[in-house]
Amino acid sequence: MIGVEQRLGGGGDSDIQQRIPWLAAFIVLVFAVFFARLFQLQVIQTDDLRLRSLRNSVRTLRLEAPRGEIVDRDGRILATTRPAFGVQLIPHDVRHPNVVIPALAQLIDREAGELRAQVGTPRGRLRFQPIRLAGDLSDDQLASVESHLYALSGVVTEMRPRRHYVGNDLAAHVLGYIGEIHGAQLETRAFADYRQGEVIGQAGIEKLEQEALRGRAGGLNQIVDVAGRVVGVIEEIDPVPGGSVQLTLDLDLQQAAEDAFLPDVLGERARIGAAVALDVHSGDVLALVSKPSFDPNDFAGGIDAEKWKQLTTDTWKPIQNRAISGQYPPGSTYKAFVAAAGLEEGLIDQKRRIFCPGYLHVYNRTYRCWKAGGHGWVDMHRALVESCDVFFYTIGKDLGVDRLAHFAQGFNLGRRTGIRLPQEMSGLIPTAAWKERRFKEPWMAGETISTSIGQGFNLVTPLQLAVAYGAIANGGTLVKPRIVLRVANAEGRLVDGSLPEEAGTVPVRREHLDRVRAALEGVVQEIGGTGARARVPGVRVAGKTGTAQVVGLKHTEGLDDDEISFELRDHAWFVGFAPAEAPEIVVAAVVEHGGHGGSAAGPIVQKVLARYFEKRAVQKVPAQVAWLGVGRAED
Amino acid sequence: MLRIDRRSIQNFDWTLLGLITLLAAAGLVNLYSATGSPDGLSDEMRRQLVSFGLGAAVAALCTTIDYRHFERFALPLFALALALIAVTLVVAPMTRGSQSWLFGGRVQPSELAKVALVLALARYFQRYPPGQTTRLRDLVWPGAITALPVGLILAQRDMGVALLTLLIGGTYLFLVRIPWRAWLGVAVLAVAALVALWSFALAPYQKERILTVVDPGRDPLASGYQVTQSRIAIGSGGLLGTGYRDGTQTQLRFLPTQHTDFAFSVLAEEWGFVGSCATLTLYATLLVWGLVVARSSKDEFGALLAIGVVGCLFWPAVLNIAMVVGLAPVIGVPLPLFSYGGSALVVSFALLGLLMNVSMRRYVF
Repeated sequence: MIGVEQRLGGGGDSDIQQRIPWLAAFIVLVFAVFFARLFQLQVIQTDDLRLRSLRNSVRTLRLEAPRGEIVDRDGRILATTRPAFGVQLIPHDVRHPNVVIPALAQLIDREAGELRAQVGTPRGRLRFQPIRLAGDLSDDQLASVESHLYALSGVVTEMRPRRHYVGNDLAAHVLGYIGEIHGAQLETRAFADYRQGEVIGQAGIEKLEQEALRGRAGGLNQIVDVAGRVVGVIEEIDPVPGGSVQLTLDLDLQQAAEDAFLPDVLGERARIGAAVALDVHSGDVLALVSKPSFDPNDFAGGIDAEKWKQLTTDTWKPIQNRAISGQYPPGSTYKAFVAAAGLEEGLIDQKRRIFCPGYLHVYNRTYRCWKAGGHGWVDMHRALVESCDVFFYTIGKDLGVDRLAHFAQGFNLGRRTGIRLPQEMSGLIPTAAWKERRFKEPWMAGETISTSIGQGFNLVTPLQLAVAYGAIANGGTLVKPRIVLRVANAEGRLVDGSLPEEAGTVPVRREHLDRVRAALEGVVQEIGGTGARARVPGVRVAGKTGTAQVVGLKHTEGLDDDEISFELRDHAWFVGFAPAEAPEIVVAAVVEHGGHGGSAAGPIVQKVLARYFEKRAVQKVPAQVAWLGVGRAED
Repeated sequence: MLRIDRRSIQNFDWTLLGLITLLAAAGLVNLYSATGSPDGLSDEMRRQLVSFGLGAAVAALCTTIDYRHFERFALPLFALALALIAVTLVVAPMTRGSQSWLFGGRVQPSELAKVALVLALARYFQRYPPGQTTRLRDLVWPGAITALPVGLILAQRDMGVALLTLLIGGTYLFLVRIPWRAWLGVAVLAVAALVALWSFALAPYQKERILTVVDPGRDPLASGYQVTQSRIAIGSGGLLGTGYRDGTQTQLRFLPTQHTDFAFSVLAEEWGFVGSCATLTLYATLLVWGLVVARSSKDEFGALLAIGVVGCLFWPAVLNIAMVVGLAPVIGVPLPLFSYGGSALVVSFALLGLLMNVSMRRYVF
């Protein structure tokens, strides 16, 4: 079969075999190209490619720092961070979805269909990614899930820190709320070291003390495989918890003030308005309430759009902090400043009496007193006690609008108090020049008359009124309200503290202030006084009622409160301080559409004062600053 | 026929055996890492070891029988291989986009076709020596012999193996004496054929793969993903490698099909530039040694057979390595002795057995 010629002709120099060196050269050439390519990849580009390899397999996780606590002046917790337990499902590990999902749904009180929709049908490496099905389980739910885990393949529980406001809506407007950082915030320099998705304080103290409460996030470098499963940990940096913020608030007084807004009879409409209690010497805000309120816990896990819409579109604006940004005509509470001005300007002395026939006819108009029959002859003391309008019409007329404004501004009205809370409003004290500027119209002499009893253009916030009455109480010092007592880091070391600050003194001599104060005591303590509802057994209370007109008198005159529709009823004011002989605390309260000041707002102030003195009787010492509830001071 | 000549024992090619042993061992060691399971041997590794044993037996058989007898088997074997592929086309299910497997995915007849094609072409050129093949029309018969299996494999939709078979057949073109002007004509035809192929025959994903070689960034998550991950694996190996079984691309499975098509990337990651170059050097040495065997063969059939064997190992190696280093499109061509796959391993051993056969009998008359 094989030819003899071929056998003899074979052996190294046949036609074919002469071609072989060329084939060998070709092979060597091809492999030389491979060597070059390997040199390029493995020697020249190795650093870059090694980095990309690391980027594949190393996943950096951020470990959020637990947010610091917010405590009251005695160290009692108002806002903290608690563990929230959730449930996750890893689709790849679920062996019997038709059993596991309905069973889990039952355990966590959800619909199976809903959970199925949440899980969907993940493919590829997504099958290894945990899907969060519930974020904050109740203790019972957690217990039942945990005890059935052995039967729920693919189900795991997880723990995340969650902001918790212990008193729910208690002091919500002071504490504020948290939320994911907005895109616009990220672009500002203040948030330069923040990242998208980070949760920050968006209102109140949470916002103001963001830097102190934030802490420092840690990190975790994990090794993951292509499916995203963690196979190891390279390094871990523990997060540093946030520091704590101690407020000047007194939880007991805050609670008393909150409760005072509850309806007297179950089922009735809760009161709307605000109350603020200050230490008259230090300016410490002991209580600050704004109603209606909201529950900042609703924001803790990211607020849902529906709830947010409900909060922001509510007619009664629950997000607004009425104590510092609600502006109301001061009504008769203004009379104390008119009296002080009259005394200081010499328009009122011990002897001056004015006859009140129930009206004052001036500038071709009749201005009525609230008491139809009139008060008869009244001096300044009596006029304040019984809140006689005609007396103050007369003094106001004599002072003129600009002198009136000078004294009102001297009590810090029409200006922000400077409290460290966002969105404080300045209120308004009208002057002739202001009206010219604002309306391009001259001031009408008649407008001075209504201004002098706190109606007309006048606008004050509850906090301003508390500061101004505080000055009457403490002998003339305007305090700057203080809300943050001190800030400590996570170890309890003081990092920031504030001392009481003064914003100036009022332009009224002490003896005149004392006379006003004595009259204000009469408002509460004397027979015929309008503020009897604010009496506290065993303590002499001073104060003043006020009624801020919502609409002109003519719409509502002669009608009882019950006969006027709620939105048209007057706002009720009461500002009080005690003990009258040596005041410590001042409380201002406004009840929107509450009707008469004495009956609607008086009891709120009364309840706060009563709680204050009840507590003081036990402690025997004035409210003292306790150390923060965390850690221990070293110096 | 089975009597072994004493001289063939004396002339046993220890160099060839040494090269084969080293490469095969490297392949197994690498595969162990690529299929790495924490608890003992993986299923793939187990099956590969079985195939390894089977391959060694087949190699021994291919070595023992004097290769000159194979000339007689050439045509029946060729017919058998074609028939098996045809059967595959009828009965085999579609697996991963092609229809190439028989007996429940255990046997790939297109692998056998490579051996059969080499034998058939060696037989043809032994009768009509390539030195006398001077005109294009002289290529009609060898062309037809090559086109038959290539066409059938194309019908199986296995583009990679079809291309490989075509290249193996084309190896013999290095030997014929056809003037360059004729080749020019062939080149024009080839370009025309490629254009036609691009326009009508290639599926969009296949075009995408080819374009990905030109620009790996164009689709980093789909067809570009494999190439990119392979480049990352190779590059992160650096000079000395990440260490055996310590390559993160491999062990954390970022590298796709790492025990089959991308087995070489595993080696490059874990053994670095030094290891991958050493392996390629071994490979090149084996191939060149195959040519040495061809040159020293005592007859033309032996030389033709040895050249065919070299072609059968060279082309898949070139396509595979070019693919994993990102110089050629991703076509599923395994790297002989390194990639997981029983049929391919047994056939590689059979081919190496034939080479040994030719080498041992170079002085036997």
